[in-house]
Amino acid sequence: MDSGLHAFSLRIKMLFHKRRMDREMAEELEFHQTMLREKLAGQGVPKSELNKAARQTFGDAGRWHERLRELWQFRGLENLLRDISFSARLLRKSPGFTTVALLTLAIGIGANTAIFSLINGLLLRPLPVPHAEQLVVLQIQEGDPEPGYNFSSPLFRGLERQHTIFSNVFAYFEGAPLQVRGRTGNQEVHGAMVSGQFFQALQTPPLLGRYLTPADDQTGGNPEGLAAVISESFWQRWFNRNPDVVGRKLIIANVPFTVVGVMPKRFFGVDPTQRPEIYVPLSTEPILDAPFNMTGGGIHANWLKVMARLKPEVSLQQANAALIPLSMPVVREQVSDADWIANAEQTHFHFAAVSGATGFTYLRALFRKPLVAMFAMCGGILLLACLNLASLLMARSAARERELATRLALGATRRRLIQQLLVESLLLAFVGTTAGLAVSPLVSQSLTTMMLRGYFTGYIDTSIDMRVFLFAAATSLLATLLIGLVPALQATAGNLYDHVKNDRHSRPTNVRQRMIPRILMASEVALAMVLVAGAGLLATSLVRLYRTGLGFDPKGLINISFNMDKQPVEGAALMQLYKALANGLRHLPGVRSVSWEQVQPLAGMTETRDYQTSFSKGDREVYFNTVAPEYFETMCIPLLAGRDFRWTDTKAQGKKIILNRAAAKLLFPGQNAIGQHLLAGDKVSYEVIAVVGDAHYSSIQRAAPAGAYVPIPQSEWKKMSYTAVVRIDGPIAPLAAAAQSLTARLAPTIPPPVMTTMDSVINDSISSQRMMALLSLFFAGCALLITAIGLYGTLAYATARRTSEIGIRMALGAKRAQVIAMVFRQNAWVAIAGCISGLIAAVLASRAMASFLFETSPHDPWVLFVSVAVLLMIASCASLLPAIQAARIDPILAIRCE
Amino acid sequence: MPAKPDALSQNDSNSSELVQGTLEMLILKTLALEPMHGYGVALRIEQISHGVFRVNPGSLLPALSRMERAGSVKSEWHATENNRRAKYYQLTAKGHKSLARETEQWQRQTAAIARILEAQL
Repeated sequence: MDSGLHAFSLRIKMLFHKRRMDREMAEELEFHQTMLREKLAGQGVPKSELNKAARQTFGDAGRWHERLRELWQFRGLENLLRDISFSARLLRKSPGFTTVALLTLAIGIGANTAIFSLINGLLLRPLPVPHAEQLVVLQIQEGDPEPGYNFSSPLFRGLERQHTIFSNVFAYFEGAPLQVRGRTGNQEVHGAMVSGQFFQALQTPPLLGRYLTPADDQTGGNPEGLAAVISESFWQRWFNRNPDVVGRKLIIANVPFTVVGVMPKRFFGVDPTQRPEIYVPLSTEPILDAPFNMTGGGIHANWLKVMARLKPEVSLQQANAALIPLSMPVVREQVSDADWIANAEQTHFHFAAVSGATGFTYLRALFRKPLVAMFAMCGGILLLACLNLASLLMARSAARERELATRLALGATRRRLIQQLLVESLLLAFVGTTAGLAVSPLVSQSLTTMMLRGYFTGYIDTSIDMRVFLFAAATSLLATLLIGLVPALQATAGNLYDHVKNDRHSRPTNVRQRMIPRILMASEVALAMVLVAGAGLLATSLVRLYRTGLGFDPKGLINISFNMDKQPVEGAALMQLYKALANGLRHLPGVRSVSWEQVQPLAGMTETRDYQTSFSKGDREVYFNTVAPEYFETMCIPLLAGRDFRWTDTKAQGKKIILNRAAAKLLFPGQNAIGQHLLAGDKVSYEVIAVVGDAHYSSIQRAAPAGAYVPIPQSEWKKMSYTAVVRIDGPIAPLAAAAQSLTARLAPTIPPPVMTTMDSVINDSISSQRMMALLSLFFAGCALLITAIGLYGTLAYATARRTSEIGIRMALGAKRAQVIAMVFRQNAWVAIAGCISGLIAAVLASRAMASFLFETSPHDPWVLFVSVAVLLMIASCASLLPAIQAARIDPILAIRCE
Repeated sequence: MPAKPDALSQNDSNSSELVQGTLEMLILKTLALEPMHGYGVALRIEQISHGVFRVNPGSLLPALSRMERAGSVKSEWHATENNRRAKYYQLTAKGHKSLARETEQWQRQTAAIARILEAQL
């Protein structure tokens, strides 16, 4: 053991002092020879024969030198280096093959790594805080299959005091952006409201100053006032990294806060997809959210995410066991509503904990499935690339079979030959992976942007960490084996006798040997078939999503959101402001009509209300919106009967409501709804004044729901923020600037309005479908290209080896058409078998596809038919080329070559 | 005499393994007397054996290298008495131990072989 180690360290030394040791060996040998010559001279050998005699006694000095050198070498390593340079030379000699191999591998591995780094960033990476494994996310179990993750303020405040199993319990809320006063009025800054123990639980020391503590999380703040902690990037952007920032004032929502600390860049709280810039105490929510007040909503407002840090000795199971007896006492202590408590008891209300090591984000629930599907797609394309390269390598190594068999016969071990062949694929995989790793950050970045459109503050950290790197390494190793092993095994299986007996143009006689390449190619075609069919289905579904009637016309429709929360005007005066803004907008160039809405359709937020009539058999849930006059005209929603709202439809005129057709059918089945009355949940009676067409509201995928509209002048809220809907002809750019200056003139204190086109809202609302469809189309294109290259390459190789056979056939009278048919047939069977098995696989996989499709059957015959047709066409083109080349063989030349 | 790759120019070499072991033992023994260079080792073995064993440089130097690698000898460059630079080999503690072990083993083996050869019918 000891001497082994000694020898090893000496050999390592040899690696580094190779030249010096070599020189010393030579010197020692030389010394030996000199001494020998002196001795021989002493024995009387004449000077002229001295050298010859010395050489006779001494032997071949060069050989002894070589023997000495070998003693100090790593045999395996040096062999490996030799194999690498040999393989590199071989690959350089066939640049076409090498380029195809590297490109396909780079695409395959790059795409896989990109998607994996997305999955890593969203699902796998632990929070960068000490002992993240101790963090748990708390849930509410009420007998529903899906646990609740939203807590009300009283329940959280009750939990916050529990320290039997938890070191800390904390809550946070990332709601609307904070309005921070800058040099040019209020600006919107992404912020998080955090409870007192938030920073204690996350154990990350601040960069400057201190973090927030329970003393800050009191109504009115700590004795010195309201405190806030800012992020390093905000410190940079807003304070230019001024070190005296601690103690400075920030005016948030028109209220002064004192900056008490700066958090380092690596800290982002517990939501890996968010990067809050300001952290404020949870207790300030009523100030910041005004005119709303979630805290004041008590037990009925569920708005907080709650997490906790377990005590080091407590396991997750123990925590869950301990939470059950602890739950009802917290409820009884915090809730005064007896009905609520009774209901909780009946549903076995209790808290539960799940691991929170990776934090919590609702984006996970949205994107887990699409990401896994895309990962599968990328895996498919990589497998395809590997199969393709395996086939090409096999065709190539078929040409080397004789050489390899000769080497086997001369005593090379099969292992040694396989090693050498595998080094070739390892080299390809290594270079391919490097290229893939180089492009994958770009790909994952653009995928993130595409995926998170519509989630303004969303962010996924896709940087390459150890996990991504290991993944890429493992993938490339797997690719190496997939690419290299089968061809290497097959190429070294032959024996010399067979090869010498048959001439070099013979075809492999072994049935198994002949079948393997065909099976490989057929599975490649099948895989391509699955990918093409999947892409076809997703693309069809996307087109149908776009073509589906929305019930309104999104072309030329602009949304402009105004945030009126923090400005002083309210009630009737605010109505006047809205009217003035609408008037101003209407006179801007290109504007055809303007109106207001409370809820933007398809933007993610919806509101429902319960209504009943004497015909409706109880409460019916109806989607709800508050709109201004001319809304239906602006949106191009048809007014089927009745009249539009007017600005004069105030509360004093009696409550008015407009229903869509679906709601009218639901609430007044078989009746004329106009002029009838319905009752809202709060027993207020509304008069139906019109029925309008159905429009999509919560999502494009779901059918247009029953909907109701009430006029803005009747809103219960005194200070509501509305979105202007503007229909324009022509470009949007001049409108943006004009709307800005209009706002600055009419409402100088509000933040700049946010402008979006309805088209982009629609694109954003189906961003993951769009991404999947685009990605799958891209991959299907790649799959087709790779398959074509594979079919062409293997056939061209095989045909080249049959040159003399074809020459003889032609000399014996075979027609060119016959030769073309003969060569073409080889691939035709492969392509047809591949298509059929691919079709079967696609149909079997359709169940997994179904949930991603909109109004498209996963067995859509047209899509499947077109996929087969495209694939067969590509395969035919790829096979026809070598066939035509074969037909051009000059029989005389071919035979003379023998 | 052509260069024979085998260790010792003996009349009959049995198994090369035995010969190789023997060569290393002889080198160890020679070096135990005093540190010397490779040529000196060859010369000394030839002299002491009265020319029975002629050590070929093609096996002597690799053997020395092997022993150095295994840690039973260490080497240093010194000037010879004729003021030439030569690589001098010296026994380490480990070398002394393995010499003792190998000598003992050798004596046991030769005694056993002698007993077998002397056995009467």
